[in-house]
Amino acid sequence: MEEEQKVLDLVKELVLRLLSPNQTDPNLSTPSISIDSQQALKYAMRILSSRMTPSISVDDSAMAESIKRHLVNQGKSSDALTFADLYSKFSSKSSSSGSIKNKWSVLYLLKVISEDRRREKRSDSRVSSGFFASTVSGGLPVLFDDDSDNCRVSRNQKTLGKGWNGGVLLVSKDVENIRDIAFREFANLLKEESEVSEGVLVRDVLYACQGIDGKLVKFDKNVDGYVLSDSIKVPRATGIMVRKLCELGWLFRKVKGYISDSMDRSPAEEVGTVGQAFCAALQDELSEYYKLLAVLEAQSMNPIPLVSETASSGNYLSLRRLSVWFAEPLVKMRLMAILVDCCMVLRGGAMAGAIHVHAQHGDPLVHEFMRRLLRRVCSPLFEMVRSWVLEGELDDIFAEFFVLGQPVKAESLWREGYRLHTGMLPSFISQSLALRILRTGKSINFLRFCCEDQGWADAATEAAAAVGTTTRRGGLGYGETDALESLVIEAAKRIDRHLMDVMFNRYKFKEHCLAIKRYLLLGQGDFVQYLMDIVRPELSEAANTISSFKIAGLLESAIRSSNAQYDDPDILDRLRVKMMPHGTGDRGWDVFSLDYDARVPLNTVFTESVMARYLRIFNFLWKLRRIEHALIGAWKMMKPNCITSHFFTKLESAVKLQFVSTLRRCQVLWNEMNHFVTNLQYYIMFEVLEVSWSNFLAEMEVAKDLDDLLAAHETYLLSILEKSLLGERSQTLCKTLFVLFDLILRFRSHADRLNEGIHEFQARTTESSLPSRDMTKSRFKSNDEPSGFGSWVSGGRKALTKRAEEFLRTMGQDLNTIANEYSSLLKGFIAQLPVQQHVDLKFLLFRLDYTEFYSRLHPNIYGH
Amino acid sequence: MDPEAARTARDSLDLAFHMSNILDTGLDRHTLSILIALCDMGLNPETLAALVKELRRDPSSSQPTPTIQSEIVDFTVMDLPMLS
Repeated sequence: MEEEQKVLDLVKELVLRLLSPNQTDPNLSTPSISIDSQQALKYAMRILSSRMTPSISVDDSAMAESIKRHLVNQGKSSDALTFADLYSKFSSKSSSSGSIKNKWSVLYLLKVISEDRRREKRSDSRVSSGFFASTVSGGLPVLFDDDSDNCRVSRNQKTLGKGWNGGVLLVSKDVENIRDIAFREFANLLKEESEVSEGVLVRDVLYACQGIDGKLVKFDKNVDGYVLSDSIKVPRATGIMVRKLCELGWLFRKVKGYISDSMDRSPAEEVGTVGQAFCAALQDELSEYYKLLAVLEAQSMNPIPLVSETASSGNYLSLRRLSVWFAEPLVKMRLMAILVDCCMVLRGGAMAGAIHVHAQHGDPLVHEFMRRLLRRVCSPLFEMVRSWVLEGELDDIFAEFFVLGQPVKAESLWREGYRLHTGMLPSFISQSLALRILRTGKSINFLRFCCEDQGWADAATEAAAAVGTTTRRGGLGYGETDALESLVIEAAKRIDRHLMDVMFNRYKFKEHCLAIKRYLLLGQGDFVQYLMDIVRPELSEAANTISSFKIAGLLESAIRSSNAQYDDPDILDRLRVKMMPHGTGDRGWDVFSLDYDARVPLNTVFTESVMARYLRIFNFLWKLRRIEHALIGAWKMMKPNCITSHFFTKLESAVKLQFVSTLRRCQVLWNEMNHFVTNLQYYIMFEVLEVSWSNFLAEMEVAKDLDDLLAAHETYLLSILEKSLLGERSQTLCKTLFVLFDLILRFRSHADRLNEGIHEFQARTTESSLPSRDMTKSRFKSNDEPSGFGSWVSGGRKALTKRAEEFLRTMGQDLNTIANEYSSLLKGFIAQLPVQQHVDLKFLLFRLDYTEFYSRLHPNIYGH
Repeated sequence: MDPEAARTARDSLDLAFHMSNILDTGLDRHTLSILIALCDMGLNPETLAALVKELRRDPSSSQPTPTIQSEIVDFTVMDLPMLS
């Protein structure tokens, strides 16, 4: 009780002091307490008894912290520091008598008092609604309990609530309340504006996002979007939000429309496997989307769970919540709509390529989504690639693959059977990879059809095993372009090697090339010589009288009499005579040619056009040989013999000089021509043919596939053509050359005639001197007989001499003409040689002119 | 009380007074000392603060009704919170 009394006393004193703060002397403890103070005391007691325990926990430091924070928030940070200082001193005074034991309560007390004072100072009309009362009055809701119906309460009510009429908030003219005012006005405005509740709108939006028209939100074809019907009055913000959410519905409509369109079209029109895969992938994504919508719909009717049970909340789904939920599906749906737009007209590989372009995106969500989609879309494509590369099968009903095949004959299978269709090439397969794919499948088909070889299947399985996939379906997918590339490379390597093996070993490609060189390009010298010897008299006839069988027989005999008989019979079998179509006036020389029959599969390399080019070269070489042969023949006749010398000695001196000069000119001309022809022959044989052949051989060694081989052969032929002046750039030169050849032939005939004339004259003279001789003896025979110095028939001698003189003179003139023509032509020919672009022609020039004879003759022409 | 305790008490009071000034409570020293004593005795500080607020706010209190008076008189002694 002592305690109680003490407390009572203290309270009394406190009350007194508080009630009369302006009284400074505390000793005014008169026993006669005023009525006011009595009331106050009683009231104080009441208050004190109202609450036993404080509402917050006992914690000194936390309290101090809180006070400090408050101070800082008010901007009095220096005060806060001071307070911290004081508090530390305060709390250090502990557990000694005389110190304050309950420090926390002191601090709390001070805090609450200061807060109350602050609040009171700020405004006196803050407390207007019952809701705020408890916080304002420092956490004493009990003051306004219903059961406290004493005067104190009513008095407080009166003092506190200026016109408190339950629910409607009153406005004071205080400046700081403008925010409150605004909020209240807004709430009123909202209530007036919206006729429909948010839940209905949410449900309608959910329907719209599945493409179904709701009660209020319908699809408007004019605007091409989902709109709220105008009759409903909603605040503008809500309307905007609804429209934004319905964008999802519009996108959904577009995607769904495309899918159902394709499904309808697919049996009739050719949508294609890639298109179907695309639709399937889209439908999968849409089913995910449906799941989300189903969950949202289920949730839309539930209220939000809250901790306190007395407060009520709206539905779980508000429009705002919906927009948050829809953020991710919106991105995906937008992507799908973009893809649908760009793939509307595309098919096959082009579609895959277009989708791939859109997959180059940095956002991981988009990236993942596109990767999934593309994996499915590209699976038919990859399947096609796999079956093409490993089996050579092209099952492409809808023409979606980038390899196109067409039915052709066996010999053009390689060149024209298959080609790339760049329109259908997706962008993630590079051009070089596509070419390799094309070549691999082509090789398999080539092996299968042209070479009748089945060994490629092993190569294919090996390749697949090496890469790690199987030869079955579904091994590869999009995103594994590296794996595809390695598979293709491995398959290509093996199949190419196999093909090369087959070509070289089974079909003896190299041997055939060599045979062509030996026969068509006149490499087998002895054979050519025999052939020329035998065939020459035949070919001098007119073309239409020549029978090819006879020539074929001659060819056979030529083969048998040369080293060619030891060659492979298979090769000799293919060598044939070919008589080209002739016009009138053609000699046999113009229509004769040899031909080599290259069968499948070699006729991929030796096609018709290739053989035609070989033919051209053959003709040229054959002509050259003929010229050479003619000159050799002329030489045979021009060698010093008895007839000529006898004739010479019998002549008179005047004619002798002419005779000698004619003969000499003939020989000089012959020498020049021979020099030219020999060097040309040498150049062609060694510098052109042999060099090109060795280059070709080297390239054949390193060729990895048939394309390389074809290219090597092409270069081989082309270099031969260019260097032997048969190319397009050397056409004028070629013409000059042929004119030269004709001239040489003319010379040959002149030389023949000259010699014949000499022999005739000689025969005449010997005949006249030896009448007993047989007149019918041929002129040639009489060459061998040494005729003695028979006596000239004196009478016929003069006539003979005159005739001889005349003859010699004509001959001389002819030879002169020929010589002039020849030298001018040769000059022109040599002048043109350095201008040619082909480097090797310089060697020809060097050979022809190594003594610089011609360049010294005509210095201005050659520019030396 | 020994001088040590007295000094401690005085110091504590000074510190508390200083803190109360910082917090702008408007309490003078004597009132504060009473309040501290009451707190130390175990009264609820929230209650004390409310009391202070009430009494300070309305110094010119209105006349109480007679009915209440008697009630209040009764429970004066009984309902004091007793602390251990």
